[in-house]
Amino acid sequence: MKLNPSKEKNQTRQSLWLGLLVVLVAALTLEATALIQYFYSRKGLRQEASQRAESQLEAMEYRIMDIIDQAEAAVRNKVWIAQWCLSVPDSIRRVTERIVNDNPVVMGSVMAMVPGYFKNQPLMAPYTSRSHITGEVSALSLATDEYNYPSKDWFTKPLETGEGYWSEPYIDIGGGNILMTTYSLPVRDKTGSIAAILTADISLEWLTDAVGNIKVYPDAYSLLLSRQGKIMACPEKSLVMNKSLQEVTSTMGDTALFNRVGRTLLSGEEGNMSIHYKGAVNHIYFSPMERTGWSMSIVIPDKDIYGGLRRIGNLVTIMQLLGLAMLLLILFAFFRRQVKFNQLEDKRKRMMNELHVASNIQMSMIPKEFPPFPERTDIDMAADIVPAKEVGGDLYDFFIRDEKLFFCIGDVSGKGVPASLVMAVTRSLFRTLAAHEYSPKRIVTAMNSSMSDMNDSNMFVTLFCGVLDMKTGHLRYCNAGHNAPFILTDHIWKLDVLPNLPLGIVPDMTFEEQSMDIHYDDSLFLYTDGITEAENSGHELFGEERLEKVLHGRRPAINHLKDMQKAVSDFVGDAPQSDDITMLFIHYLNQVPTDVSERHLVLKNDIQEISRLAQFLDTLAAEKGLDHSLTMSLNLALEEAVTNVILYAYPKGVTGLIELDAFLEKDTLRFVLSDRGVAFDPTAAPEADTTLSVEDRPIGGLGIYLVRKTMDQVTYRNEDGKNILSMIKKI
Amino acid sequence: MEINITQQNNSTTVQLIGRLDTPASLDAAKELEPLQEKANGTIILDCKELTYISSSGLRIFLTLRKAAMNKGGEVIVRSINEDIRNVFMMTGFLNLFKIEN
Repeated sequence: MKLNPSKEKNQTRQSLWLGLLVVLVAALTLEATALIQYFYSRKGLRQEASQRAESQLEAMEYRIMDIIDQAEAAVRNKVWIAQWCLSVPDSIRRVTERIVNDNPVVMGSVMAMVPGYFKNQPLMAPYTSRSHITGEVSALSLATDEYNYPSKDWFTKPLETGEGYWSEPYIDIGGGNILMTTYSLPVRDKTGSIAAILTADISLEWLTDAVGNIKVYPDAYSLLLSRQGKIMACPEKSLVMNKSLQEVTSTMGDTALFNRVGRTLLSGEEGNMSIHYKGAVNHIYFSPMERTGWSMSIVIPDKDIYGGLRRIGNLVTIMQLLGLAMLLLILFAFFRRQVKFNQLEDKRKRMMNELHVASNIQMSMIPKEFPPFPERTDIDMAADIVPAKEVGGDLYDFFIRDEKLFFCIGDVSGKGVPASLVMAVTRSLFRTLAAHEYSPKRIVTAMNSSMSDMNDSNMFVTLFCGVLDMKTGHLRYCNAGHNAPFILTDHIWKLDVLPNLPLGIVPDMTFEEQSMDIHYDDSLFLYTDGITEAENSGHELFGEERLEKVLHGRRPAINHLKDMQKAVSDFVGDAPQSDDITMLFIHYLNQVPTDVSERHLVLKNDIQEISRLAQFLDTLAAEKGLDHSLTMSLNLALEEAVTNVILYAYPKGVTGLIELDAFLEKDTLRFVLSDRGVAFDPTAAPEADTTLSVEDRPIGGLGIYLVRKTMDQVTYRNEDGKNILSMIKKI
Repeated sequence: MEINITQQNNSTTVQLIGRLDTPASLDAAKELEPLQEKANGTIILDCKELTYISSSGLRIFLTLRKAAMNKGGEVIVRSINEDIRNVFMMTGFLNLFKIEN
C-alpha cells in the first residue's frame, strides 16, 4: 500500500487558510464596530464641548452685562440731575459724588464740561474716585493741562455721536494700577446741545479672575478681547492689557491663520472655529458682548475633548490586537498539533504496514498449504495459527524426511514483535537441527542450548517436538514445558508427557524422550494454551473440558480443525482475542502389516474400562479366528492383569493410563501391558496355594495366579519408570 | 449381569446371568451380601447362564462358601459351563464347592 501524505498536507493547509479567514473576518467586524462607536462618541463629545463652551460664554456674558447695565444705569439715572446742575456750576461735583456713592461698582465718575460751556471757566471736570484699596472717596479734577481731557476718547466719542460710549479698557495708573473701563454719556442742556460728558469708571479687575477661572476642560482657557483686539483676560497675566492679540500672534508664524482668527473673533459674530497649529488642533468658541464690542472666546484643545475617547480607543485597539493575537496563537497551536497528529498518523500507518509485511513473512515461515503432502495416503494434516496481534509468538512446523514426520508446536512467552522474533529463531533452529537428527530428545536439547546461550531478553519457549515413523506408527517425542497433546482414538486421552522445562531457561539441561505407537486412523492433536485460555466476554475460559468435547470421533484432520475453530469462535463471540491460537492435527493413516502389531488399547485406571477390554478381545478374536475358550482365558488373564494395575498402580484420585498392545507372531500371541504407576512386579508375588481347605483359603490373591496359570510366559520389566508386563500365549 | 434370587423354604436360589467380570462383581457383591445371613440354609448358585467369571467373581463364591461353613449351611454351584469349570479347576474351587449339573 502506498501512502499519500500530500493530500493530507493540502487538507491541513486548506484548514489553515480557513482559520486565517475566520480571524480576518473577526478582526474586520471588531474594527468596524470600534469605528462606528468612535464616530458617534466623537460626535457626542463635540456636541458636549459646544454646549459646555456656549453655556460658559453665556454665563460670562450675563455677568459682564450685569455690571455694564449697572454702570450705564448709574450714569443715566443721574443725567437729569446733571442737566439741572448745569445752571448751578458749583453743584456739578455733587453729581459725580452721588454716582460713586450710590453705585458700589462705580470706582470713579467725572462730569467733564464741553470747553467753553462756562465762559468763566473754559475747562471744568470735577472727578470723584474711590480708592481701589482703601475704599476712600476723594475729590479730584481732571481739568489739568497735562491730562487735557477734551482730547480723550471717552470725551470725544460721545460728543461726536451724541450716544453713550464704552471706552477701550485701560490701566488706571493713578487709581491703583487696575483695569478699568469707562462709560460716558452726553448731558444736554435745555437747548438740546451737549453741555457735558458724564462718566462712570468701573473696575474690570474681577473680570480677569472670572475669565481665568473658567475651566470647562483641564487645558481649556478663555480669552477676552477688547474692541481693538487688546487682551483683557487670559491665563497669561503678563499679556493682559499689555499686548493685543495681533501683537502676540505676530511672533508665532502663520500670520495668515492668526489674522483670520483675529478677524473672526472681532467680527462681532457668534460661532466656533477649529484651528490647526503646530500639529495640535484647538477649537475656539466665541461670542461678542453687546455694547462694549468685546469678544469673549473659549479655547479648548482637541485632546481635551477627545483625549478620553482616544484613550478608550487605544485601549479597545490594544484589546482587539491582543484578542486577535491570541486567536492566531490558538489557530497556529491547533494546526501545529494537527500537523503533528498527521505525522504520527503517517508513522502509525507506516508501522502498521511494516507489521503487515512482518506478519506475511512470519506466516510464510510455517507450512500453510493443506493438505501438505497430497501425494501421500498415509498422512493427513490440518493446522491453523491465529496471532492475537499482527505478529505472534506461536509456531508449528513439520516436514517429512526419511519416511519420518518431524513436527513441533511451540509457544513463545509474551506476544507481539519480540515474541515473533524468538518464534522465527525457534522455527529456524528446529528446521536446522531436525535436518540431521532423528531423536527428538537431541533436537530439543540442542535447541535449548542454542536459545539459552543467546537469551538476553529472558524469553522462553514451550515446545513439543515429535518424530513419527511413517512405516510403523512409532512416535518418539520430547516435551519442553508444552501442554500435552491429545491422542484421538476410539476415545480421547492425553499423551503421557514429561513436563521438562521450557526452552531457553537452563542452558545445559538434558531433555527426556518418550515414545509410543500410534495406529491406523489415530490422530494427534497439538495446540497452544491460546485455545484453552480463550476468553469470552464474561471472562470465562474455553477450558479443557470444552476442548475434549469437540475432539470426539475419528475424522479427517480438516474436519477436526474446522470443528475446533467453530467451537472456539462460537465460545469467544465478540470478545477480543487475548493470545495467539494455534492447533495442529496429525491423522495417521498407514496400515501397518498385521503380522507385526495387531491392536493397541489404551485404558484409564477406572474399573469400568474392563468392559472395553472384553470388546477389544472379542474384536481381536473375531479377526484372528481365535476359539471361544482361548478368548475367554485370554480375557480372564488380561482382565486380572489390568485390574491389578487399575486398583493398585496409581494413588486414589490420580488418573493414569494403561496401554495394551497385542501382537500376533506366527503361533504366538504376545500382549504387552504398560503403565506409569507404582513399580510392581506381579511375577514376584508368591504362588497361591489352591489345595487349601475352605477355612484356610484367603479371599484374594487369585488374580495374578490366574494370569500366570493362563499365559505360557509372563515377564516383567521396569523401563524409564514404566511397568511393562509382557505375556505370551502359544496357540 | 443379571441376578435373580428366589427363596424356597430353607434354600435360596441365585440365578446368575451374563458375565461376572470385575465391574459386575462389585455390584453383585453388594447384592449378595445379605445372603450371608441365610448361609445356615442351602444356597444354590445357578450358573447355567453365567458365561464368564473373573477372580473377583470367585471371591464372592468363596465368601458365601465361608459363611455357609461357619453357619453350618451349604453352597451348591449348579450347571457351570466348560470354561468356568476350567477356572474352577485351575483355582482348586472344584474341591471347595458341591458342583451340580
